[in-house]
Amino acid sequence: MGFFTDTTVCIGCKACEVACKEWNQLPDDGLFFTGMSYDNTGDLGASTWRHVSFIERPAALSNQTTGLGDFSWLLMSDVCKHCQRPGCLEACPTGAIVRTEFDTVYVQPDICNGCGYCITGCPFGVIDRREDDGRAWKCTMCYDRQKDGMEPACAKACPTDSIQYGDLDELKDKARERVEELNARGLHEAYLYGVDEVNQPGTGGLNAFFLLTDEPEVYNLPPDPVVPTKKAGEAWSSAFLAGAVMAGVATVSVLTGARR
Amino acid sequence: MRGNGDGREIDPALGLLGGEGSLQRVQRAAGSEPLPPTVWDAHAEDTSGADPSYYDRPVIKEPVWIWSVPAYFYVGGAAGAAAALGAIAQIAGGESLRPLVQKCRVIAAGGSALGTGFLVLDLGRPERFLNMLRVFRPTSPLNVGSWILSATASLASVAALLRRSRGFLGDAGDAAGLGAGLTGVPMTGYTAVLVSTTANPLWQGARRSMPALFVSSAMSSAASLLEMTALNDTEAKIVNRFGMAGSLGEIVFSTVLQREISTVERVGRPLREGLAGRLWKLSQAATVASLGLSVLPGRSRAQRMLGAAAGSIGALAMRFAVWEAGKASARDPRATFHQQRAGLGAKEVTTTAAVSGADDRRATDA
Amino acid sequence: MAECHPVGFRWTMEAKKRGATIIHVDPRFTRTSAMADLHVPLRAGSDIAFLGGIVNYIMQNERYFKDYVTNYTNAAAIVGKDFEDTEDLDGFFSGWQPDEGQYDIESWQYEGTEVAPAAGQREMFTGEPKSERGTQVSAERVDRSLQDPRCVFQIVKRHFSRYTPEVVQETCGVEPELFGKVAQSLCDNSGRERTSAFVYAVGWTQHSVGVQYIRTAAIIQLLLGNMGRPGGGIMALRGHASIQGSTDIPTLYNLLPGYLPMPKANYDVSLARYIEYNESASGWWSNFPKYMVSLLKAYWGEAATADNDYCYDYLPHLTGDHSHMTTVADMADGKLQGYFIMGENPTVGSMHGALHRKGMRELDWLVVRDFAVTETADFWRDGPEFERGEVSPEDIKTEVFFFPCAAHTEKDGTFTNTQRLLQWHHAAIEPPGDCRSELHFMYHLGRRLRDMYGDSGDAKDRGLLDLTWEYPTHGSHCEPDAEAVLKEINGYRVDGGEPVSGYLDLEPDGSTACGCWIYSGSFADGVNQPARRKPGSEQSWVAPEWGWAWPSNRRILYNRASADPSGKPWSERKRYVWWDEEVGKWTGEDNPDFIPDRPPSYRPPEDANGVDTISGIDPFIMQADGKGWLYAPNGLLDGPLPAHYEPQESVIKNPLYKQQCNPARMEWDRKDNPYHKAWNDPRYPYVITTYRLTEHHTAGAMSRWLTWLSELQPELFCEVSPELAEEKGLVNGGWATISTARGEIETRVLVTRRLPAIRLRRRVVHQIGLPYHWGSKGHSRGDAVNELVSFVADPNVSIQESKALTGNIEPGRRSTGRRVVTSGKLAAGAGGRAARDIPGRGKSPEGAHGIKTAESQEGEQT
Ligand SMILES: Nc1nc2c(c(=O)[nH]1)N[C@H]1C(S)=C(S)[C@@H](COP(=O)(O)OP(=O)(O)OC[C@H]3O[C@@H](n4cnc5c(=O)[nH]c(N)nc54)[C@H](O)[C@@H]3O)O[C@H]1N2
Ligand SMILES: Nc1nc2c(c(=O)[nH]1)N[C@H]1C(S)=C(S)[C@@H](COP(=O)(O)OP(=O)(O)OC[C@H]3O[C@@H](n4cnc5c(=O)[nH]c(N)nc54)[C@H](O)[C@@H]3O)O[C@H]1N2
Ligand code: SF4
Ligand code: SF4
Ligand code: SF4
Ligand code: SF4
Ligand code: SF4
Ligand SMILES: [Mo]
Repeated sequence: MGFFTDTTVCIGCKACEVACKEWNQLPDDGLFFTGMSYDNTGDLGASTWRHVSFIERPAALSNQTTGLGDFSWLLMSDVCKHCQRPGCLEACPTGAIVRTEFDTVYVQPDICNGCGYCITGCPFGVIDRREDDGRAWKCTMCYDRQKDGMEPACAKACPTDSIQYGDLDELKDKARERVEELNARGLHEAYLYGVDEVNQPGTGGLNAFFLLTDEPEVYNLPPDPVVPTKKAGEAWSSAFLAGAVMAGVATVSVLTGARR
Repeated sequence: MRGNGDGREIDPALGLLGGEGSLQRVQRAAGSEPLPPTVWDAHAEDTSGADPSYYDRPVIKEPVWIWSVPAYFYVGGAAGAAAALGAIAQIAGGESLRPLVQKCRVIAAGGSALGTGFLVLDLGRPERFLNMLRVFRPTSPLNVGSWILSATASLASVAALLRRSRGFLGDAGDAAGLGAGLTGVPMTGYTAVLVSTTANPLWQGARRSMPALFVSSAMSSAASLLEMTALNDTEAKIVNRFGMAGSLGEIVFSTVLQREISTVERVGRPLREGLAGRLWKLSQAATVASLGLSVLPGRSRAQRMLGAAAGSIGALAMRFAVWEAGKASARDPRATFHQQRAGLGAKEVTTTAAVSGADDRRATDA
Repeated sequence: MAECHPVGFRWTMEAKKRGATIIHVDPRFTRTSAMADLHVPLRAGSDIAFLGGIVNYIMQNERYFKDYVTNYTNAAAIVGKDFEDTEDLDGFFSGWQPDEGQYDIESWQYEGTEVAPAAGQREMFTGEPKSERGTQVSAERVDRSLQDPRCVFQIVKRHFSRYTPEVVQETCGVEPELFGKVAQSLCDNSGRERTSAFVYAVGWTQHSVGVQYIRTAAIIQLLLGNMGRPGGGIMALRGHASIQGSTDIPTLYNLLPGYLPMPKANYDVSLARYIEYNESASGWWSNFPKYMVSLLKAYWGEAATADNDYCYDYLPHLTGDHSHMTTVADMADGKLQGYFIMGENPTVGSMHGALHRKGMRELDWLVVRDFAVTETADFWRDGPEFERGEVSPEDIKTEVFFFPCAAHTEKDGTFTNTQRLLQWHHAAIEPPGDCRSELHFMYHLGRRLRDMYGDSGDAKDRGLLDLTWEYPTHGSHCEPDAEAVLKEINGYRVDGGEPVSGYLDLEPDGSTACGCWIYSGSFADGVNQPARRKPGSEQSWVAPEWGWAWPSNRRILYNRASADPSGKPWSERKRYVWWDEEVGKWTGEDNPDFIPDRPPSYRPPEDANGVDTISGIDPFIMQADGKGWLYAPNGLLDGPLPAHYEPQESVIKNPLYKQQCNPARMEWDRKDNPYHKAWNDPRYPYVITTYRLTEHHTAGAMSRWLTWLSELQPELFCEVSPELAEEKGLVNGGWATISTARGEIETRVLVTRRLPAIRLRRRVVHQIGLPYHWGSKGHSRGDAVNELVSFVADPNVSIQESKALTGNIEPGRRSTGRRVVTSGKLAAGAGGRAARDIPGRGKSPEGAHGIKTAESQEGEQT
């Protein structure tokens, strides 16, 4: 199962943010006025598993006319991507992070030891460490609701179906149709981010993918994310090569040094 | 919900959160953490234009480890190198080198024990370290490393305990010493793999040279520690050569590393400026100094001590420089963006880059 | 709409998915604009000029729906000779009475007859109302060719001819090109095949000419044939969950349930007179007596008999204006002893919080029912005047009673929404602690009062003692049964008591009782109709079995207009209700809003009376003439046609008329309610507009007490354009102080292009945006924006003007020394006087406009 988030119908109402906190009983993380448009949440974290971004952009959408001229307001609800190749999961030394029967990425709180390695492993800066006991927390895709056959709280609360939950293949078809529809209506910018392996080879595709209308950077998403382990090979070989050399050097030092 | 001054005279518990999530205390909520200053003057315009970012907010999370982790990189590396050198000396060197072997074993044991302590300090509770060993996960350098560390630590301490024993116990000690040597080799480099197998742009960008750098640095670290002990000429020669090679490697690979990450200006930045930059320069200077001292003719004790100190400082500073640089790099969203736009994201290891804009906008991406 | 009705907005998004064009007209670029195809920023308070421009566009380019206009609107009606237009009188209509400060509507009437409106001011406060007995609408003269210079069509055309694109630009700051786009796409999407809908809320209403804003939209929709048809109409997005219900069964002082007017003391002296003045001789309102008598029977049951006028005299009779702000002003003048505040937080939510607190300081007792001890409940120790030490709690004699209330999840009842749809909600849990429902409070209060007066022989107490006050209760709290109340509202036969099936069953002879005639049918067959929850997938697309809509579960009002004069649908695409020749009945997707068996061909005979006057082509049956009113000969206090007037406080002179403001507006010319200069006040050079955020609810007691909502919008902020920030040195995220003659507040600054500087043809106008949710209590706290807003209102519905005023902004935090006008010395430079009204023609002294009691003025002379 997964999420298709269509940012072109997001009205930035933050119902998803609140529904998530309410269902998962997450506390507020501070009353701070940020001055970043209407985004006073800032980012995803241990106590915020949904985050709505507000991008005031000095460029118009190609299918919108406003008296403000070159301006548009992009709204987008961000969440854990439940990657096909999850950096967090592959990094986790304890096996606390697992792939569930719903093909989602879930952190088992009772096994996590708070080593924090997953946090450096996530190419999207999603998972974060609880400030009190140091364990890692993130969106569970409402694992408990899924088990009861309910859709996740955020998707349920979304009034405009910007967050669509369901079977991945169906979502992908829907998403592709939607892009065509939008292109046909003159919104040429519309494209899918992370819909599948071809679209985002570095992560093998995202189970929570997005329909965007500007470069990923604008939404604070990496343009070409990669699961770090894809690059581990080079590091390991370099390490073993260097190790071998060290052994060699040691031998030489011993032999030469010991010669009378 | 905080407080119950809601005038409804109801059981405040009704208004309190329940469940696992609600137990967490968020420091920012407690008002302890001030707002990121960048936010206050963030203007809408920053969100787009030629070089967009989202109000300069980080795109990835900063590593959450404390100082004890880079410290562990140092002691762990030293321990590994010492174990390796000790093992080699045990095989290749005759009885005469036995004292050196013993010193190496002590350093290896002490280093890996201390290192484990450092890690536990970061985790909070000792039993948490054991969680690492409930599975074997080759994809996780931290998991692999934990096994290596545990192995080295236990073997090295056995070897150290039995270093003076004779007969069967002596043989057992020797076997452990060899084992520790074997696991000690990866001990010196896996920490670099651990650091560079992350989403951190600077660390990831340095993944080819960093292991070599760490290994070299481990050699000079171990050498420096040995230098501080009383050595006979033979031992001194051996240690000196081992250390010189290490320092030399350290100098070479730190330069290579800097070049490697500087292919993208934004990624290399942290090593040039700020705290990380200063530590980096310090480490290079110290290493050069220590190398200089060890090539200089004459082997006075003072000179050796000075060289050893410089070597240790260089190695330590290098670990902390890399550490700080990584944190700085994580704070800078454009480091990640530029690196990936430069084709150093997934594209390096996959045939194509990810779709990052509608087709008719892709042109502008390059 | 996305901001304040996010769940309703999903349907707008549905429409957009199906290809609808979304146009958003708003001074700001909001979350709604983000979803719109077309966003039009304009100067706050200038919409009549904008909409008037569209009317003019329709007229000049003959884009109106001719068949619809000639047959279904009053376009053809001839208006009396004496009528003079604002275009002739520079901003006044004929009939202005300077000394009364209001209009005499005589000259607005159709030639040869006088008609009662469907709603609104059915008669005036002053002077004897004209009885309408015997009026024959057929007596009204018409010109179906629409050529007669005195026919409504020509009058409307002339009236708006000056509202050109240039004038629109001059007044609203909207580029002619952008304006043209709007006008054109609106017309292109109207007619036989297509319909367009208008959606508005308080951005249009909260002005001293609020009602006329909506009137202008109504004129457009009638001209384009968008009324009574699917996909058309004008949607008033309501506020609080059941605010529609609270006008149907009103919390308004001048209405009885079902929009029956409250009796006036000075002339509604008997039921007969009252009925005579209010029933319409023609159209649906000719049923007036049935509804009134049934209501009285519902109130006083047994006791109500034909001989005692069904206890008509027990009803309170109005002596004048008792609207919100007038009452508070009277309070401040010490004219009230006690006050109930139930579900309101006026010191934050209502205009001029300081004046509200002053008023409450003068009370003997105050009852507040709310979830939390709100700023209002704590008025006696919480407010700027206490900070400044001008008032101290010891000096306040008011005794405050606070009653914690039950939330909607804790009680049964209905919500009536924007679509007139009643939806039942069941109590999910028992209210905690001492919390009780409104129903519980009112019922038991009444019960105890009746016990107290039990043995009183006093005639004056009969009204209370004769009330029908028996309701079954249940549970440990003795909660009255809400369904029993709904039964009473639905109405029943007095003998036997079985529920009536609808208002058609009601009788004027006391044989039926009905608590609210328009809700009659909501309990038909003894079934709780609003509780129906049949999924849309299991019924027709109109979904008549979801909840229940008044009247008679009709989902679209006046839906006979969805068929052409001959009774056929205007188009297959838009078929909704039509005449079935075989059966000889009206039928269709919805319950036809017409006399079921009246053929399209029917024309009333000369001597017709009552509903018989409704011809086969009179879809707007509530109107005396059955037509949609392009021109309103009656019912409005400020003119038969909308005209653009500037807000009470503006930055510019009225570009259209010499008369600056709505001459009939309500003003409170008091020391403690100072106004700025009418325009160009150098001390207050900027436009202030106020509004809501999705994250909070109104005065905040329902959101600022919740951390999950508070963290999303943690502090009061103002929105300013980069230009204004530049000009004033305001820093994003920093502090600003915003001031008017009334008060001063401090806010965070949000610099954003979403609130653009408005470019009129000659000058640039800067606007300051302020969400008004904050107060001194709860998790998220801030100054109350309404400290800035004055008392000034629309004359028809006395709604405040909180969407457009003037003020000043300076960087930095608020001073604590400055005095408020309601305590201590008058703030420096307050009470700016300028010609809002043409001298001599307008009322002098200024400020005596609108409906008000004579006394409330005297209070001021001292
Ligand atoms: N989240 C949330 N929802 C709510 C409420 C809430 O407080 N919070 N309140 C409920 C209530 S009580 C009500 S009444 C409704 C109100 O619903 P709305 O009327 O939608 O609420 P507002 O935001 O007050 O005003 C709407 C818009 O009017 C614009 N505006 C201001 N002046 C003018 C003008 O002169 N012309 C035009 N065209 N626009 C203007 C403002 O910029 C604002 O964007 O919302 C209801 N729903
Ligand atoms: N400047 C400016 N001022 C405005 C507006 C504006 O746009 N600009 N909008 C105006 C509008 S449209 C409105 S509607 C008003 C709203 O102004 P208010 O109605 O004064 O504000 P609310 O916070 O909605 O007050 C409702 C109160 O009822 C309480 N409550 C909720 N449910 C119940 C219940 O079941 N029983 C009881 N007894 N209490 C309950 C809530 O806790 C809350 O305190 O604000 C007006 N003021
Ligand atoms: S987004 Fe990050 S946290 Fe979520 S699954 Fe992918 S890697 Fe893990
Ligand atoms: S913090 Fe927990 S979840 Fe993350 S890697 Fe460590 S053990 Fe795994
Ligand atoms: S799926 Fe559940 S946990 Fe994840 S964001 Fe949505 S509500 Fe929160
Ligand atoms: S609930 Fe839906 S519409 Fe609202 S912010 Fe979240 S995603 Fe956007
Ligand atoms: S708050 Fe309630 S009434 Fe308002 S939009 Fe949301 S659901 Fe609808
Ligand atoms: Mo409202």
